[in-house]
Amino acid sequence: MTTRTLTVLSAGLGNPSSTRLLADRLTEAAERALHARGITADTAVVELRDHAHDLTNALLTRVPVGSLREVLDRTAASDGLIAVTPVFTASYSGLFKTFFDVVEPGALAGIPVLMGATGGTPRHSLVLDHALRPLFAYLGTVPAPTGVYAASQDWGSDEAGALTERIDRAAEEFATLVAGGAPQRRPDPYENPTPFEKLLSDL
Amino acid sequence: MQFGIFSVGDVTPDPTTGRTPTEHERIKAMVTIALKAEEVGLDVFATGEHHNPPFVPSSPTTMLGYIAARTERLILSTATTLITTNDPVKIAEDYAMLQHLADGRVDLMLGRGNTAPVYPWFGKDIRQGIPLAIENYHLLHRLWREDVVDWEGKFRTPLRSFTSTPRPLDGIPPFVWHGSIRSPEIAEQAAYYGDGFFANNIFWPKEHFQRLIDLYRRRYEYYGHGSADQAIVGLGGQVFMRKRSQDAIREFRPYFDNAPVYGHGPSLEEFMAETPLTVGSPQQVIERTLKFREYFGDYQRQLFLMDHAGLPLKTVLEQLDILGEEVVPVLRREFAALKPAHVPDAPTHASLRAAAQAAQRAGKQEEEVSR
Repeated sequence: MTTRTLTVLSAGLGNPSSTRLLADRLTEAAERALHARGITADTAVVELRDHAHDLTNALLTRVPVGSLREVLDRTAASDGLIAVTPVFTASYSGLFKTFFDVVEPGALAGIPVLMGATGGTPRHSLVLDHALRPLFAYLGTVPAPTGVYAASQDWGSDEAGALTERIDRAAEEFATLVAGGAPQRRPDPYENPTPFEKLLSDL
Repeated sequence: MQFGIFSVGDVTPDPTTGRTPTEHERIKAMVTIALKAEEVGLDVFATGEHHNPPFVPSSPTTMLGYIAARTERLILSTATTLITTNDPVKIAEDYAMLQHLADGRVDLMLGRGNTAPVYPWFGKDIRQGIPLAIENYHLLHRLWREDVVDWEGKFRTPLRSFTSTPRPLDGIPPFVWHGSIRSPEIAEQAAYYGDGFFANNIFWPKEHFQRLIDLYRRRYEYYGHGSADQAIVGLGGQVFMRKRSQDAIREFRPYFDNAPVYGHGPSLEEFMAETPLTVGSPQQVIERTLKFREYFGDYQRQLFLMDHAGLPLKTVLEQLDILGEEVVPVLRREFAALKPAHVPDAPTHASLRAAAQAAQRAGKQEEEVSR
């Protein structure tokens, strides 16, 4: 059995939060779908709330410190990301965006992403394709075709079946992308620097 | 090992009084600080170069020339000279002139500058920062070593039969450090030429600078300038000292909290834990600085940032007294005792001239002589 590294980024603020609830459902479904492909998931769940101060400091000083640095390193080294945000004021939350603002340019290129969002009403569901998908396209990631939006009413018993169905479909698509192979990573510029002759000839 | 200070030259209000020094006061204060550095036995004074308020040092060689005339031993340097937006021809001329006036007590540290609006004022684009640094230094390196230069590049008017004057003192170009906060390309560049590499060591945790310095050392050896532990490394550092560490913290906190760059961000305690900033007793500064050697290997130059964030001149001069009397003598002794014999000191004009003469006597190729 091979192993793939997953990092789950949850931008919920409450505890428990419905964002974390959705993140856990997506994670569980993704791990199951990977398992069916002979892959064990090495999963870490990150509550961005725990890094909110360090994220602000990173914006101000340009330096990610402490546990935030570890999260950024792990995220960039992942084979797949599950990213879930609450909808705030018609888009992803500021905390969610701040995290991706401090990621090094190009660091997430090629990584499959399973997108999720939560909101009070189903009328925000297109946030996945209007806000999150362009963000992940800009980052060069590979978002799964299906994202999962969960409104308050989806957690009620009537709608639960439909939500589960969407989660399973999204997780299947995501697992196919993750199983397809580890993302192509840029060479580490510290381990393998561009030789000076090439820096000069590239001018 | 060389010890010194580097100044950004910021004009910042003193947060405890609300008073902002005039540009004239700040410029004169920088000179006073440089003279004090020599008086308390430091080796190096380096000035920043900036072309935007709230910074005053736009003309480093003017300031350093003036300081040169009023000092005897102090090595005059920069932190940093903008290799991206300056014309390399003018750098070659200005610093050769300074070298003559200062009888060789000159080296310089090249940097790219990270203030985006400055680039277009000089007809440049910050996105071309690395290529500008590579090409401009390649030309500068030749201008100091070849009497007549034919040259054509991407960023500057071609040169035909150009001689940069004055020629470097004794035919020995000023030693060059390449400063970087986070560019592996610059570490590679420094290694290629066998120049020094200076890690800012202010904003980022040590693990980051360890990777950068390790890369420089490895590539220095690869390019055949010596073993990795013989590469020429300089480090920044930032300290504030009082006899009792709690007094240092109480006095420095308002300056930290309102400082340009990191003010209103992480707490003083967080920043001290994550970066080399040390606010405390002289003994704490000694212990922390000695740790740098464990992290980065034997190194040749330690510069401290002392006069920034609105600290009054009187306070800065007190800090220099503490540095010169209580800290540096101990560090000199400790570092010297730890340094293996095969690790060189930082090159100076005298050492480079002696090496050139020895090489000449040995009948070596001129190219090796002028490294």
